[in-house]
Amino acid sequence: MKRFALASILFAVAVAAAGFIFPSAASAEEIKLIGVITEIEIAGPDATTATATLKDNKTGDLVTVIVNDDLTLDKFKDHRIVVGDEIRLKYEINDGKNVSKYFRKTAGC
Amino acid sequence: MLLVAGSAAQAKEHPGRAYIEKNGYDGPSSCEAQGCHPGSARKFLETVHWKHASPADNVDGTEPGREYGMKNRIYTMCNGNDLVNDLKEIPPNPKTGKTKFTGCNTCHPGNHISDVGSTGKEAENAVDCLVCHSAAYDYRLRKPFKDEAGRIVMGQDRSVKAAAAVGRPGVKNCMVCHEAAGGGVLVKRGFSFTRETDVHAANRMVCVDCHGAKDHRIPTGYDPNNWANDGVRVACADCHGEAPHKDEDTNRHTARIACQTCHIPRTGGALAKDFTKWTQGTDGFYEPTTLRMEANETAPVYAWYNRTVANTPTFIGPKGSRADKASRIHPFKMYEGKAYFDRKTGQLLSMDFAPPMATGDTLAGVASAAKTLGIREYDPVPGWQTIYFGSNHLVTKKKALSCANCHAGNGVLNFRALGYSEEETRRLTSAEIYFDKMADRQKEEW
Repeated sequence: MKRFALASILFAVAVAAAGFIFPSAASAEEIKLIGVITEIEIAGPDATTATATLKDNKTGDLVTVIVNDDLTLDKFKDHRIVVGDEIRLKYEINDGKNVSKYFRKTAGC
Repeated sequence: MLLVAGSAAQAKEHPGRAYIEKNGYDGPSSCEAQGCHPGSARKFLETVHWKHASPADNVDGTEPGREYGMKNRIYTMCNGNDLVNDLKEIPPNPKTGKTKFTGCNTCHPGNHISDVGSTGKEAENAVDCLVCHSAAYDYRLRKPFKDEAGRIVMGQDRSVKAAAAVGRPGVKNCMVCHEAAGGGVLVKRGFSFTRETDVHAANRMVCVDCHGAKDHRIPTGYDPNNWANDGVRVACADCHGEAPHKDEDTNRHTARIACQTCHIPRTGGALAKDFTKWTQGTDGFYEPTTLRMEANETAPVYAWYNRTVANTPTFIGPKGSRADKASRIHPFKMYEGKAYFDRKTGQLLSMDFAPPMATGDTLAGVASAAKTLGIREYDPVPGWQTIYFGSNHLVTKKKALSCANCHAGNGVLNFRALGYSEEETRRLTSAEIYFDKMADRQKEEW
């Protein structure tokens, strides 16, 4: 019984430690959707972040994501990506915010 | 940093800014005013970027003197071409009643009135210099619309702001077209050129540092599926030489192993497409069903290549062999495409995308293309074609293949398939040939 209790305590400590060391692993579930951009907000040519709102094609829900990657930001700034474009999006929820991990136009030539 | 590398280089102000600010920007005539860039637009009309075609002397089955390229080729990555899939407004989708513009030649740097291969003064004036040369191009303006006469026109940004930001093309100027080829971002060639994916980009290089043009003739490599060329070529050895490694054993490999084989260990982009069954999107329009992969997500196939190309209805790819001393082992992106072939001739049929995009009716697309090409009789039957695309980007130094990646028993090279005997293969895949070298290297590194 004692051995079981000790094992339980060690297990609990290990689980707690794992949660402490890898806090984002549990919360960073990747969500995918395809949707059309309804709004892009970017604060000028030197902005290092932007928000984009997409209407999910499947659910019709509006999803707003924070975009931080340089390549997509540049495409917002010179309008290679604009409102009305259909996007393949992957994002994670970090600290309650949707953060884009993949932001690609579906259309090609 | 990426933004600096990704924009048209503007180390110093381009001369003529005052002229543009005073007179406005009116396309090539502004570029050629005041004695600057004389004859550039006329010469540009002779290049592959304008003609979308050139002779293809190294490809089986091509006619000498005839030009081939996106203008007229048929293969299963792009089952249409500029001729049969000319930029147009597609029929309304029956469900939504909506229509849209589409066509293979949407990337052509003209205005569509002056289109692929056009010549003369009007064509010269239609050249969109700034789409390649401006760091401040507003891409919203580069979209098709109908003019008062009902013609489909491709818009251009000819603003003073765009013209004032003129310079050498940056990465985005090239990638705005080249990354979207084949029906979506990274679909066709499957490479991105970013600091994360290519050592040249990480070193702040831009496309034209290697593909440096003279008179707008752009040097290209020998991708077996990229036939059109401006008659000038680029190769790794142009900068790196034939013996770029400190280690002589590694340098000996370059005689029979292309640089790309070790330094481009992964590939990406579309794995396969089906042009006989299109998938309907939630917007009601249809697209060819495509298996997409990311850059660096797939393994290449390795083959001997002597820079001549096999071209049959079911295979487009490298020719070469171990016995042929002009051949080296190269990596290729392997792709399979399903489309309609003519049962009578065995030849691949092309497709006008407008009908299937609106309704999903792929045979209507084949019929429209056949009409354009004057083909009266054909019997369409689905079939597959395999294409080996050149794998020349996604270059890595840190993750390059090392001795054991090829010479271990489970290495990436299939020596038997590459023409080596069983005994040679046994010797080539034994730790005996690399053990001491790797052990020494390990000692140095740690």
